[in-house]
Amino acid sequence: MKRRLLFNLTFTAIFLGLFSLIISLFYQDVARALDQNEFFPTNKTFDLQACQQWRNEISSFDLTPKEKATEITILMYHRVIPEDKLEDNHFEQDGSIVSTIVLKEDFEEQMQLLHDNGYITLTLEELALFIKNELDIPKRSIVLTFDDGFKDNAIEVAPILREHHFHATSFVITGAVNKYDATYEPGEYQYFSVDDLHNICDVFEFESHTYNFHKRMEDHTPYLTGKPIEEVREDLEASIINLNGQNQAFASPYGAFNEENLALFKELGFNMAFTVVPDTVKPGTDIYQIPRKEIYPRETIEEFKVKIGLK
Amino acid sequence: MILKITLVLFVFFIFFQFVYILYPLYAVKEKEKIKKLGNEKGVSIIIPAYNEEKVILNCLEGIRQLDYHNYEALFVNDGSTDQTLDVLHTHLDLQVTSTKLPTGKIPHEEVKEIYQSNLYPNIYVIDKKNGGKADALNAGTEYVAKEIVVTLDADSIMDSMSLHAINVSFENKEIVAAGGLVQIQQGYTGDLQKPNPIFSIKGLIRHQVLQYMTAFYLHKLTQAKLNSITVIAGAFGAFRKKALFDVDGYRRTVGEDMDITLKVHRLIKTNKNYKNNRLTFIPQAICYTECPENFRELYNQRIRWQKAFVDCIFHFRKSFFRKLGFSPSFFLLFDSLFFGTINAYPTILIPVTLLFNQDNYIVAAGLFSVATFLAIYQGIVTLVVSRRFGIIYSKKQLPRVLFFIPLEAISYRLLGLLFVTTGTLLYFKNKNSWYVSKRVGTKEQALLLEKKAV
Repeated sequence: MKRRLLFNLTFTAIFLGLFSLIISLFYQDVARALDQNEFFPTNKTFDLQACQQWRNEISSFDLTPKEKATEITILMYHRVIPEDKLEDNHFEQDGSIVSTIVLKEDFEEQMQLLHDNGYITLTLEELALFIKNELDIPKRSIVLTFDDGFKDNAIEVAPILREHHFHATSFVITGAVNKYDATYEPGEYQYFSVDDLHNICDVFEFESHTYNFHKRMEDHTPYLTGKPIEEVREDLEASIINLNGQNQAFASPYGAFNEENLALFKELGFNMAFTVVPDTVKPGTDIYQIPRKEIYPRETIEEFKVKIGLK
Repeated sequence: MILKITLVLFVFFIFFQFVYILYPLYAVKEKEKIKKLGNEKGVSIIIPAYNEEKVILNCLEGIRQLDYHNYEALFVNDGSTDQTLDVLHTHLDLQVTSTKLPTGKIPHEEVKEIYQSNLYPNIYVIDKKNGGKADALNAGTEYVAKEIVVTLDADSIMDSMSLHAINVSFENKEIVAAGGLVQIQQGYTGDLQKPNPIFSIKGLIRHQVLQYMTAFYLHKLTQAKLNSITVIAGAFGAFRKKALFDVDGYRRTVGEDMDITLKVHRLIKTNKNYKNNRLTFIPQAICYTECPENFRELYNQRIRWQKAFVDCIFHFRKSFFRKLGFSPSFFLLFDSLFFGTINAYPTILIPVTLLFNQDNYIVAAGLFSVATFLAIYQGIVTLVVSRRFGIIYSKKQLPRVLFFIPLEAISYRLLGLLFVTTGTLLYFKNKNSWYVSKRVGTKEQALLLEKKAV
């Protein structure tokens, strides 16, 4: 009687143990599969406040009038991929590299140049104060921005930034962020995972690049200017929620926006908005139409120097 | 979305498998001797026979060796075109009798003659025009004299103690019908009084031996507890005579066994006189049946079963839940209909998902692993539980069984999917012509009796 009960209990325990083991082996994969092709929930956050505190610290520079910057450059990148990891889909039909990709080797050289020439990177808040003429900054100041939130930014870019004590801003398409981390596949359109966001939280400021409106309508009009304003509002609100209420800055997909959009940015509390117009930034620049210079694939270091105004 | 549905169904599936594994494990105690009650209730055994000349003597031998007194056996020759009637004549010394009178309540094909055995006065043979198994059972029911009716297949051999087990079970006034435990003849050797399980047999038969043991010792046992016996196997079942009449006998369909079971459920649910009654399963009432030995025959049998199953689902579609009661309906629709097939589903899912979506193959592999794991564990529990019922494999045979269980889980088991799918498709393809399919009756002499004759 007792022996049978003991047997049954042991049998059950082994059964449940093995069963749990099998379940735990596959749990992650099943959860991930369920999450596949799903947008990041509109009502959840990335939980980033704690590691983003650093962006509120404003450096004060003791500068002579000669050392003060009158204009600075903001650089815009998308993807950064090492040359040996380039795959077929990274090339256009004519054999050139897709325009949003910068080779990691080139990027390293560019950062090295900035470092060697004593450049410092500004936070968005410092930039805003500069534009409002409330903060003096050194001549060799620069702002680095990365659009879309590709996973290569976390894998390839973040370590280089850290090495040079630089920081940058990432404009994230928040709906594309993956709940579950996946292996880095440079050949695919792979966006940040939540884990990635946390891992690079020390060198990137995260801001909105829409929730899921980085798209064009059938007639190629970007969603932002083509869709009814109420839908645009809903989308942007979702991205702000994902970013824990972070609404310091906004970057329009394709640089497209209209008057209605501008009013909406202000209404939603964004302090600044970026375009893709290549120009320098001065005190007094329209803070809702801040220009940025895009870096293209295979740019020579000389071209780069011209872009940043380094003679 | 498909993935989500699959997962939800899979969770249900896991739940059922858990119940089937854990309930029998805790419910079944060590083997108890079958009690022989002083008061033997009368039992009439009906054996419908259509072209069973090769196997019917095995069945007769089982009846002859019964350790029970208050019974009669009625062989119903359903217009056989072979020597079935002659074989019975020779071995029973039959003589026309006029003492058996029908009640005239259930219609059936014309009865040509009724014989009584001179050697065993409690054995009768009813010779009638062909009308199918259900019709033969109806004819037999018309002539039974005893309170309890046992239906037995002509290729099945009753264990000598089985009527005692039925007698004990029907002591309980609530029991209105009960299923016996059906085992595979080819899986046993030795004396009918003391059969020994063996496993040095063909893989296809091994598969069926395991399948029957699992179906009866785990599934039927659990279903009985949850009051949801959905089919009393046609090979061996017992009914109160009154109930058979109150449901107007058998419906002429291939799935007459499932049909009569559901009719009894409906009777309990809808007839006030049967308010507190129920069906049960009697694991000590054993009979040994011959199983198909090659794929072709197994295929035919299982296609017939599946057609019968689909037919019953259709026939009772309006009766589910309200008229059949919750438990049997739930088990029938979810466990039998859904998970009868989903068991093999994850395996099929692997190549399909690999083809269409390479990212999900791990999930398919996961489902497959879980399904296989549960199947293996069920096999082991089946061994544990059947051992408690006295089916003990020798030290030489046991490793074969243990080795076969995991193998079976990923091979033979998948046949089920083929049978279920094909059977269902064929049912809809020729809905009106299937009911003529008959038992083939080309079986070999039973191993069990061959050994005994030596």
